[in-house]
Amino acid sequence: MRRVPPILLLFVLVPLLVEGFWVFWPALQGFWLALTNWDGVSAPRFVGLGNFSRMIDDPVFHTAVTNTAIWLVLFGGLSAAGGLGLAVLLQKERRGVGAYRAALFVPVVFSLVATSLIWQVLYQPGGIFDSSPLADPDTALYAVLVPALWRQVGYVMVLYLAGLKGIDPGLYEAATLDGATAWQKFTHVTWPQLRSVNSVVLSVIVIDSLRSFDVVWSMTRGGPYHSSELLSTYMYATAFQSLKLGYASALAVVIFVLAFGVIVTYLVRAFREN
Amino acid sequence: MDRRHFLRVTAAAGAGLLVSGTASCATSASSGPVAQTAGTATIQSNLSAPAAKAAIEALVKAFNDRRGAQVSVNTVASETFRTQLPSYLTSANPPDLFTWYPGSLLKGYEEKGLLLDVSDVWQTMGDYPQAFKTLSGKVFVPTTYYWWGFFYRKSNFARWGVTPPKTWQEFVALCQTLQGKGVVPLGMGAGADSPWTASSWFDYFNIRINGAPFHRELLAGKQRFDDPKVKAIFTPWREVLPYTDPNGTAIGFQEATTAMLQGRTGMLLTGAFFADAAPKDAIDDIDFFRFPIIDPKVPLAEEGPTDGFFASARSPHVKELKEFLTYAATAEGQEVYLKASSGTVLPTHPGAKDTGTPLVQKGRAHLKEAAEITQFFNRDSSDALQPTADAALVKFLQQPDQLDSILATWQKAAEQVWSA
Repeated sequence: MRRVPPILLLFVLVPLLVEGFWVFWPALQGFWLALTNWDGVSAPRFVGLGNFSRMIDDPVFHTAVTNTAIWLVLFGGLSAAGGLGLAVLLQKERRGVGAYRAALFVPVVFSLVATSLIWQVLYQPGGIFDSSPLADPDTALYAVLVPALWRQVGYVMVLYLAGLKGIDPGLYEAATLDGATAWQKFTHVTWPQLRSVNSVVLSVIVIDSLRSFDVVWSMTRGGPYHSSELLSTYMYATAFQSLKLGYASALAVVIFVLAFGVIVTYLVRAFREN
Repeated sequence: MDRRHFLRVTAAAGAGLLVSGTASCATSASSGPVAQTAGTATIQSNLSAPAAKAAIEALVKAFNDRRGAQVSVNTVASETFRTQLPSYLTSANPPDLFTWYPGSLLKGYEEKGLLLDVSDVWQTMGDYPQAFKTLSGKVFVPTTYYWWGFFYRKSNFARWGVTPPKTWQEFVALCQTLQGKGVVPLGMGAGADSPWTASSWFDYFNIRINGAPFHRELLAGKQRFDDPKVKAIFTPWREVLPYTDPNGTAIGFQEATTAMLQGRTGMLLTGAFFADAAPKDAIDDIDFFRFPIIDPKVPLAEEGPTDGFFASARSPHVKELKEFLTYAATAEGQEVYLKASSGTVLPTHPGAKDTGTPLVQKGRAHLKEAAEITQFFNRDSSDALQPTADAALVKFLQQPDQLDSILATWQKAAEQVWSA
């Protein structure tokens, strides 16, 4: 076996140390804080799993979990479907297609807070709607979902466009010679060839939906009366408005477990198939 | 540069980053006493609105021009300030002075020994009213305060042929008249970014009907939100809901202000600070009246939120910061501040001249007549309790029939805050 040159070891170890100190160590502390009651000033008080058992009776936590699930399904599903649809539609090079792609990608460039401000104005009572959908607890979550999707679809589209470019055109020629219809080409050539992109898209979507925060916070702050609360906004409000950092850390652990769980399950499956 | 040299340089830079990272962290983790060093004391300020920022900068400039101790001001967004305050106070090298308000949060920090005792500054503030002393304890120096009321445009009231009401009956009659003229009588801006404004209505109904002492006890957790006495205050509130802007929970505080200034709504229950954002030509046309008396037997109470400064117990610039606080508490310092501000706040120094506009003079008299001063929901309780009020009150505005369940939920949420 060839000896690893020390300079390369250094290149691995130094970033690992930096990462360990600035990322892993605080993350581990987060797990510890989840087992305590802490106001950010006094010493944390150990309460075991008290924070987690408290979630069971916390109605706002239940709303936040339900909303996060709705968000994951709608935000994830619609942006994946929309992104793929647009990518397939816009993959062929023809005149002006670049302008369409750019137009769909532009929302990704905007800061989400700026995006929310624009949409807030659109939603204002007396504008498109007589009364603001953001103020109605039945519609608030969906009203926030639309701008989030508006942005995410462009992003997913670019990922899929890159994936589509990587497919060997020979496969399509062969399929055409075999008399495949457009739909057959999609299901038997395009979709299987996109498998590696799909795992990227899935990870991106799961992570993005669980960390969706800015758009909700700047548009509704989880309101009216917690109806658009996500786990992320509830965690923030618990930590920095109510100053219950222990409970907030426990919420963060829940978010982590959800994100990690979904992604690991998928990756394990994907590796097994390979 | 050859490849080997490049690698060596980058590796060194990486190691340097690591070392400096560890070093800076070691400093912030140490909590020992900090050596007293001469120099400039820093004020961490959350006054980020243009007029208020200009005012504190003018105050600092006037102070520094005296050629005594020197201070500098560091303005941060108020949301950042609020969330970072615990970190500021527990860091080994904190800012020296902070803009803030008295209340339960400050008391909590005081009990934990994080705040500097500024009793000797209070020695120079002999002519301050007792109310400010009680409010501030040993750790706070109040500099300005303001008032709340129903603000309206004089020209609009004249055009509609109406006059400010005194009693609850007159108030309801006024709402009826305005609605008959096609105007939305009562503005409200309890939408997305300012649901807390609904708490002003709650505060006023409670201090008008149950009185200020009960109100304080309720907010301190010594009474219950599902108490029949609390439930009772929603009866008159429900009476005026039909006159309240139906978009009141959809629009924010700024839009509600604009709606009132443009005459789309008749009046708005708000603090005098709203004038910060009002156009100059509108300010002379603005007047206000007291939240109507509901039960004449209840001693008159008004909301008069007070602002000022406190200092960190770990500050190495005690001498400088006390000199600044002493100056900020003088009539001179407060006049400098007011002159540069939008001019609708009042000086806490009894001898300081306010900006002298009729509105401000009326505001000063308005608070002087009150037997009791409350601060505002979050100041009399805590910032942690405020979100529970926001959820409850916005829900009440939208679904007043759910009152019983709203109050039960509110009590439960409040107990969680108090027990934390």
